[in-house]
Amino acid sequence: MPKRRMRVAAAIAASVVALAGCASGGNTSPNTEVPTDQPITLTVWSWDGTVKEAVPGFEKLHPNITVNVVNAGSSTDEYTALDNAIQAGSGVPDIAMFEYFSLPLFAIPGKLTDLSGFGAKDLAKDYVDAAWGNVTIDDKPYALPSDYGPAAMFYNQSVLTQAGVAAPPTTWEEFYQAAKKVRALGGDHYITNDSADIFVLMSLMWEGGGRPFKVNGTDVTIDFKDPGSSRAVAFWQKLLDEDLVNTKITNWSDDWNRGLNEGTLATQLIGGWFTSTLPERAPQAAGNFRVAPLPQWEAGETSGAENGGSAMAIPAAAQNKAAAYAFLEYFTHGDGLQSRIDAGAFVPNLSNLNNEKFLSATNPFFGDQKYNQVLADASKNVATGWQYPPFFGWARTSYEDVSAPLYDSKQGTLAEVLETWKQRSIEYGNEQGFSVR
Amino acid sequence: MSRQLLTHQTSVSDVAADHQTLRKPKRRNVGLAFIAPFSVLFLFVFIVPIGYSAYISMFQNKLIGGKVFIWFDNYIKLFQDSQFYDGVIRVVLFTAIQVPIMLFSAIALALAIDSLRLHGSRFFRIIVFLPYAIPAIVSTLMWGFMLGIRYGLIGSLNKAAGTSFNPFAPETTMISIGVMVTWGFTGYNMLIFYAALRAVPRELYEAAAIDGATEFQIVRHIKLPALRSSLIVTIIFSIIGTFQLFNEPNILTTLVSNSGITSYYTPNMYAYSLAFTGSQQGYAAALALVMAIFTIAIAYAVQIKGMKNAFNK
Repeated sequence: MPKRRMRVAAAIAASVVALAGCASGGNTSPNTEVPTDQPITLTVWSWDGTVKEAVPGFEKLHPNITVNVVNAGSSTDEYTALDNAIQAGSGVPDIAMFEYFSLPLFAIPGKLTDLSGFGAKDLAKDYVDAAWGNVTIDDKPYALPSDYGPAAMFYNQSVLTQAGVAAPPTTWEEFYQAAKKVRALGGDHYITNDSADIFVLMSLMWEGGGRPFKVNGTDVTIDFKDPGSSRAVAFWQKLLDEDLVNTKITNWSDDWNRGLNEGTLATQLIGGWFTSTLPERAPQAAGNFRVAPLPQWEAGETSGAENGGSAMAIPAAAQNKAAAYAFLEYFTHGDGLQSRIDAGAFVPNLSNLNNEKFLSATNPFFGDQKYNQVLADASKNVATGWQYPPFFGWARTSYEDVSAPLYDSKQGTLAEVLETWKQRSIEYGNEQGFSVR
Repeated sequence: MSRQLLTHQTSVSDVAADHQTLRKPKRRNVGLAFIAPFSVLFLFVFIVPIGYSAYISMFQNKLIGGKVFIWFDNYIKLFQDSQFYDGVIRVVLFTAIQVPIMLFSAIALALAIDSLRLHGSRFFRIIVFLPYAIPAIVSTLMWGFMLGIRYGLIGSLNKAAGTSFNPFAPETTMISIGVMVTWGFTGYNMLIFYAALRAVPRELYEAAAIDGATEFQIVRHIKLPALRSSLIVTIIFSIIGTFQLFNEPNILTTLVSNSGITSYYTPNMYAYSLAFTGSQQGYAAALALVMAIFTIAIAYAVQIKGMKNAFNK
């Protein structure tokens, strides 16, 4: 009995969501007016500490609105809390933070507000294309980008010089040659580390045009055999086979910090946000590190990929959507943005990426290199069209499980790992109500 | 609390008055009032949570389509889930090996302290007990650094001896966790045994000594039998504890790589990852209930077996 009733209820809920979508898509939407006569309290869930910098300015503009910025946990912790609040029907924040890959998880089941009704589509031209692509699902913006992680190569110049690599590798072939030279330094010297980090492999696929995940509503296709993806897999397999990558060091561990300090890890293929944590992690390597674009598949190309970044969205169950959007726009796009940039946020807004003051910033840790210039170019070069499956949060943990035998004891190949991963994802996705192939 | 009791009493006696009956039922009702506070707590703290878990274990929470009632499908799926068995077999093996080692060491230490032949036994007792007071998170970090092959103690030893022993390889990680758990809980068990030994009347030892018993015979015939009931208690505690293994492997994943620790390494870790990364709360609840029943069954079997042997003596 309850099974059928649930289904009916779900169908009704779905149609209500659809109707709501129509309503907010229309032009006659009085609910986009920010009320000025009644006191409003906005709750923002964010683990990005810079958001609170924009609050005083906003509250001055809107004296009737009070903004509470709460850290409700990072990543999965927040998503769980949000899901619980949505199910309970109370305590849902007005704005919540999402990593780009987790947006579809909430947007596709209709848990987020389509921001088209607030005129968000007009903002598209103000962001790098790939960042806007991250927040757009089926041509509807469900969030505004709030920080960005263009994939870049951080390299220890003195170690590369010592290994006889005069200039940082600009192609993957050069990266491979450099890897052999660094390894020849002996001991624990490796060009980089990789302990089952799917983001490194995905950067290589993304940059080279691989699009392993295709999402259309609840239809998901997974295929690691497209040319861009298989080229990345074959290349990384070669590095693993020839022991050119340290597979014993996991990111964020104590070993990692030591490797970065000692210079036994010569490069990191990681998001641009690494600038904010590397100086604390590797104080002994001060002055040695530089930032370069991700190596390219063909010399002369300027493609790029993304590694991390997040956006802010308004849950469908939020109480004060108009006021929430006003603040959302204010701190991610409008006048409040600069206060967050000054506090260290790296944002994909073109106004900032073209700002001379931002671009000319230097840091003695990076040998007074204009590192923001490199990262701004990398942001603009990020290839578009990448999609994450809606259940990527789960898939990421699953990847660690299925790749363990390869990384722990060299059983199997990367291609086999991806095939197993694909099968598990298909099974899980279908169980969860998607149609996955 | 007492006010609650009073209101219960008055309402209960009102009911009794309605029934126009006199002494006997009234006395029974007073008894009910006395157990009411306990019953209410028991209901809300034990029965309701278990009942609620059983209830949600019959639902599947789909990302698309929401909550679906699926009867016992979660249980059927669980009994066919190789990842679940992987974790269960691992903790059962772990328990079978680690618990005897730990309890044997704890008994040996308790006997040593109780022998009254050690200097500074009080100091020794505190030192052995101290690891129990250290949170598992801290002790795992500590052991992780110590056993780490790159910069830890083992790393230095390997370098000095030219070996390449790795305590956190997929084959050895469980042994390292066993060392951590044994280190943490031996002192605790030792104290339980020591307390049992202290309860033995000293006259027994004197009598044995007068009869010409050797120290070994005293241990064999007086001290070990005295430990029987506390041994059963410690075995049950240890089984429950090791079946719930979670902190150590969970922290090690962030500390060392290639340790072979998966998201389903132990049943508890599996339940956690199902509920929080897979949003499969119903499935996680089913797993939790099955593990609870399994643990209770084994603990109960130990108790029955222990009691039977005790009566045979």
